Amino acid sequence: MPPRPNIRVLRDIKARQGVVDNEIARRAYLYVARNQTLPAQVRYRAQLQLNTFGRYTRPTTVKNRCTVTGRGRGVIGEFGLCRYQFRVKALAGELPGIQKASW
Amino acid sequence: MASVAPSRLATLARLRSVIFQTSYNPTSQRTGAKYLKRRLRGPSMMDYYPQQLSFSAINKEFKGLDLIDEDEEQRLQDIVDKKKRGKGAPKKAKSAADSRRAQRKR
Repeated sequence: MPPRPNIRVLRDIKARQGVVDNEIARRAYLYVARNQTLPAQVRYRAQLQLNTFGRYTRPTTVKNRCTVTGRGRGVIGEFGLCRYQFRVKALAGELPGIQKASW
Repeated sequence: MASVAPSRLATLARLRSVIFQTSYNPTSQRTGAKYLKRRLRGPSMMDYYPQQLSFSAINKEFKGLDLIDEDEEQRLQDIVDKKKRGKGAPKKAKSAADSRRAQRKR
């Protein structure tokens, strides 16, 4: 079995789930709150509703972490791996088309 | 070429938007349309981490299979053994007064 995801990865998964669950409602409120053609009172109330959403419902709280180690920094987006895991896997030949530079 | 009056140009723009069924927004007000038009990001976000296999998930999916997670069994057994030797985790305090912190000597 692969290593168990650490707490930071679990929290990130929770944030992702929260985004999925609340995305449509948040979009609807955003539409009303940012629409300048609507009355100010309505927009204000929509903004108040937006503020009641939890922390883990905003897409900005989601961070792409290393899928192997859960490391948050130095993650190479194309592979979803941190720089060290990228090196390990590349040297092991597990990443098609990646080879060590040599000239 | 004679210059065209701005009002005429505005009329032209309005007519054009009616004919081509585009939105007419001469003052460039924000309509919030971009929040509705943008694709939903949630579904692709959920695909980022590879699916984790777990014994509980497999047992739930296939009823009656009842695979045994040996590591988990061992962990639970260790807890029982430790408790027998009086080395278990302390009881949770019901109030702040019975907490171990409060009993500590200063």
